Amino acid sequence: MKQLITAVAGLPGVGKTNWIRQQLTQQPTLYFSPATRIGIDQTRLAAEFPHMQFLADDQQAQLGSFLASGVNAYLELGYHLDLAQIAPILDTLNCHRVAIVPAGMQETSDWEEWADEMITGSSGAIDANSLWVANTTGHVIDPDSLEVFWYELTQGAYGTVSRAKGIFELVDGLSVYGDFVAGLQPQDFDELNLPRWLEGRPQRLSGIEVWGNQLDEAAIAQTFQDCCLSDAVIHHYQQQVKEILSQEAMV
Amino acid sequence: MKLAVISCIHGNLPALDAVLADITQQKAEKIYCVGDLVGYGPYPNEVVERIRTLNIPTCAGCWDEDVVEGLNACECSYPSLLAEKRGMAAHAWTNQEVTPETREFLAQLPHSLHEGNLCFVHGSPYSAHEYLLPEMDAFVAMERVLSTGADVLFCGHTHVPYVRSLDNGQLQIRITSPSIDSEQQLNFTAPFQQIINVGSVGEPRHGRPNATYVFYDTETKQVTLREVSYNYQKTCAAIIEKGLPPIFAWRLAKGLEYAERAEDPTHVCAR
Repeated sequence: MKQLITAVAGLPGVGKTNWIRQQLTQQPTLYFSPATRIGIDQTRLAAEFPHMQFLADDQQAQLGSFLASGVNAYLELGYHLDLAQIAPILDTLNCHRVAIVPAGMQETSDWEEWADEMITGSSGAIDANSLWVANTTGHVIDPDSLEVFWYELTQGAYGTVSRAKGIFELVDGLSVYGDFVAGLQPQDFDELNLPRWLEGRPQRLSGIEVWGNQLDEAAIAQTFQDCCLSDAVIHHYQQQVKEILSQEAMV
Repeated sequence: MKLAVISCIHGNLPALDAVLADITQQKAEKIYCVGDLVGYGPYPNEVVERIRTLNIPTCAGCWDEDVVEGLNACECSYPSLLAEKRGMAAHAWTNQEVTPETREFLAQLPHSLHEGNLCFVHGSPYSAHEYLLPEMDAFVAMERVLSTGADVLFCGHTHVPYVRSLDNGQLQIRITSPSIDSEQQLNFTAPFQQIINVGSVGEPRHGRPNATYVFYDTETKQVTLREVSYNYQKTCAAIIEKGLPPIFAWRLAKGLEYAERAEDPTHVCAR
């Protein structure tokens, strides 16, 4: 079978990661999303497809050797990257370029010029002009507070949000993924297929990424902070959860 | 007699004035207020002054109690950590803002008020902090009304208006005791009772910024839920101007209360 390298680009929220998810098979596959400030998509895919290989930014030099091993590879290119600058690199990789464009988008000539294949995706964040990203690793959030924070965030309390996604660590040790695209039906948080973290603050990635306009970044950060639990409370709940789980195991 | 019953004004003077104007238009003969004059909103002293000037019989809300006694509500008052932090910020602001006269007025408010077969409380007859949610167990709801000796119980606290009829509830009680030879069984049918939650004047939670209150005719027993639009932008501007968290203004404009309500209808406040 011929090795395939696919580069996927598009506006925030059009469904790049979801499209890649749909393409994934049990074959050896590599996923690399260069220059992401935090690896939300990578973490989500890693939880769902444990057989996949992932490259972090500092492993970029190993890309060639990974590809030489014959895996199929997906390169997800964030909207913040200049595709013209990346084009020469993609040329050396001889990859298939896929552009995912929002449904109903009028002006697609730039994408057509870049891509080998055009796919219609979600509405995406066409008008977003600012991005706020926070790595929240080690923070544990109160689930009821998360619901309120996410609602306020996505409904415009801190500026107009076109796209938001995040991975959050809950006090019961579970990790959930939140996904919002303006204009699409709000979705419930998805539980990630990860083991419960019940020993102190989780040392695995959690974070949040928000695309929008006139974002009040200080208010978003403060509200998120107000939702997070102290060491003592985290310890208290973790002991309770461990006790419940051990009782269940005995039944 | 035609009564108007208001609740949960939460320092929102423009909302209160709009409701008072509507009450006048509806030709109510008497107004009752079931508490929470202060808390979250920017005009606590002005709201108390208005209620006081108009001699409106008022019982103490949980916020009125907390401002007088210090914040000592049990955790059921806040459904989330975020709500608790916001509540505490609002409490600190209100506590600093209220005048000695306002505090003195709040301190003398009774827990409940009675008129004929009507009883007025903020949360429940048990506690100003307890929620009588519409889905509360019917037996408990009946017990709460019967404990007042009234047929109609007016309350607030949830910020969502509703009318619940407890009609022909049949209670069956079996008593066993070592001192009684045989079991005793008591049956009785409870009379028609009603719980009327009057909603919120100043901090609605029904998805619109409009103030709500209840109009009640003691002769016909007719209950009318009134919804009154007002200049909520004025309150929103004052929230920001006076240094309260801007998120309060956003939530008010959306018709979402600032701290949400407790979700567990089975929880009995331990305060």
